[in-house]
Amino acid sequence: MITASHLIRRFGPRMAVNDLTLQIAKSEIVALLGPNGAGKTTTLRMMAGLIAPSSGTVSIDGIELTRATGSALRGRIGFLSESPGLWDRLTVRENLSAYADLYALANAERAVDQLLDAFELRDRAETRAAELSKGMRQKVALARALVHNPPVLLLDEPTSGLDPEITRTVRQLLADRRAAGCAILVSTHNLDEAERIADRVAVLQERLIAVGPPSALRQRLTTGRVLVRVVGDPSKLLKVARRFDPDAAVDGPTLAIRPGDAGEKTPALVSALVTAGAEILEVRQEMPALEDVYLHLINQPDR
Amino acid sequence: MKSIRALIAKEFLDLRRNRAALVPVAMITVLSLALPFAVTIGIPVATGFPLGDDPGLQRLSAVVGRDELSPNGRIELFLFQQFLMLFLLTPITGAMSLAAHAVIGEKQTHTLEPLLATPVTTLELLVAKVFGALLPTLAISMAGLVLYFAGIAALGDPGVFNAMLSARSATLIFIVGPAAALVALQGALVISSRVNDARTAQQFAVLLIMPLAVGIIGQFVGRMWLSVSLLAFVGLGLFGIWILLTLVSVALFDRESILTRWR
Repeated sequence: MITASHLIRRFGPRMAVNDLTLQIAKSEIVALLGPNGAGKTTTLRMMAGLIAPSSGTVSIDGIELTRATGSALRGRIGFLSESPGLWDRLTVRENLSAYADLYALANAERAVDQLLDAFELRDRAETRAAELSKGMRQKVALARALVHNPPVLLLDEPTSGLDPEITRTVRQLLADRRAAGCAILVSTHNLDEAERIADRVAVLQERLIAVGPPSALRQRLTTGRVLVRVVGDPSKLLKVARRFDPDAAVDGPTLAIRPGDAGEKTPALVSALVTAGAEILEVRQEMPALEDVYLHLINQPDR
Repeated sequence: MKSIRALIAKEFLDLRRNRAALVPVAMITVLSLALPFAVTIGIPVATGFPLGDDPGLQRLSAVVGRDELSPNGRIELFLFQQFLMLFLLTPITGAMSLAAHAVIGEKQTHTLEPLLATPVTTLELLVAKVFGALLPTLAISMAGLVLYFAGIAALGDPGVFNAMLSARSATLIFIVGPAAALVALQGALVISSRVNDARTAQQFAVLLIMPLAVGIIGQFVGRMWLSVSLLAFVGLGLFGIWILLTLVSVALFDRESILTRWR
C-alpha cells in the first residue's frame, strides 16, 4: 500500500501540488484525473521518489520514502513515465533484461520470458526498440515497469496513443495486477478509461478536488430524474406521470419524471404506469457521465 | 555492484550497436601509433640523417640514462617514452564525447527518468557511466599498445625494446594513463549532468584535455622528465582527484532539475 500525506510541491513561486493526501490500498486501482498542468506527473514523480516534496511524506507499507530509504523503496515500485524511454539500439529483450539486472533479479531471464509472453511480445523480442511502433514501445515500457513484480505501480498515461486492441490488453494486464494484489495509481486524461479500470477516481487540479468511486462521483451530480422508455406514444401516460411529478415531460419515446425520492417512489410509479396500460421497455435513473462530473468539478469557481 | 555491472553491460551493448562512436578513439589510436614511428624511424631513414647525429637530441635524451645503448638507441628510447604518454592519453579525447553525452544523452532520449526510478543510486549511475566510456577506450588503447611495443621490437635499435619494458613504462601504462582517463571522463560527466544540451557538454569537455596537452608538450620540449616515483605519485594523485571528482559529481547531480527543468 502506498500513502501520500499532505504533499506539497512548489517550483519556485509556482505551486504544482498543494496538500495532496491519498492512499492506494492493495488490490486497488486509483485513476488520477486532471487537466494539463494539474500536477499529475509531479504527484507520480514524488510518489516514485524521483523528486522530493516541498513538504509532506510518501510511505510504502508504512516506511517513509526518504533519501536513506529511497533506493530500497524504489525497488518496490514499478514506474511508467510519460514517455516510454526505451534504449533504441537495444532489442526488446535487451531492454527488459537490462532492467531485470538493475533490479538484481535472481532469475532475470525467466522473468523477461514471462513478460514477453504476458505482453504478447515474444515475436518482437529480438527487434530493436527503435523499430517498434508507438503502441509496441508503450507495451514494452509497461512490461519494463513490471519486470520486478512490484507491489506498487505508478503509471503516467499508460494507454496514451495506443490503438483500441493494445489499450484493451493493457487494461486487462492492469486488472490482472490488481487481482495479484498490486496498488496501482494511473494518471490519465481518458475518463472512459478511468471509469472502466479504476476502483476510485481522484480529481486533481493543484489540490485534490474529489476522490471516490466513479459511481459515487456521478451520484454527486445526479438529477434525481427517472427515465421510463415505453412502447408507443409516451404522452398518453403523462397524466399518470404527473401524479408523481407535476413537471414530468416527454423526451422522444421516454418519460422523464422526478419523483422525489427515486429509490422509494420508482416502484409505485412503475406500477401506476403499468396499470395505465404502459408497456415498459426500460426504467433507469438519469446519471451524469463521469465527464460531466469531472468538468463540473474542475470548473467550480469556489475551489 | 550488480547495478554498476548491469549498467556497464548496457553501455557496452549500446556501443556495440553504435560502433561509429568508437571510430574517433580508434582513429586517434592509429594516429598515435603512426606518429612515433614516423618521427623516430621514418624521417631519419627518409632524410638519411640518423637521430644519433643530432647534438640537441643527444643532450635531451641523456635524462633516460641507459649508457649501454648507442646514442641513436638512447634518443629512440627517449622519444618512444615521450610518445608513450601521448599514446596513453590521446584516446581519452575520443572517449570524452561518450562521457559528455552520458547524462544529457539519456535525458534527451527520455531514458533517464525510468532509470532513476529504479534502485540505482546516483553514485552507481555515474561510476557506471564513466567505466562504460573508459573500458572500451582502454581496450582499444591496450590493443594499440601491443602494436606499439611490437613495432619497437621490430623497428627500433637493438636494446631499445628491452629498455622500454621498464618500471616507468608500467607506471605510465597501468597507473598514470587510466588515472588521467578517469579524471578527464569524470570531469566530462560532471559537465554532462550540469548542462542541458549535448553540444554544450562536448564543448566544455574539450577544455578538460588542455591540462593533458600541457603535460605532453612539457615532456616533449624537455621541460619535464618525470621519474618513476614522481609518475607514480602523479598517478596516485590523479586517482585521488578522481575519487574527489566522483563525490563532487554525485553532489552536483541534481535529479530534480534534470527531470523537471531540462527540455
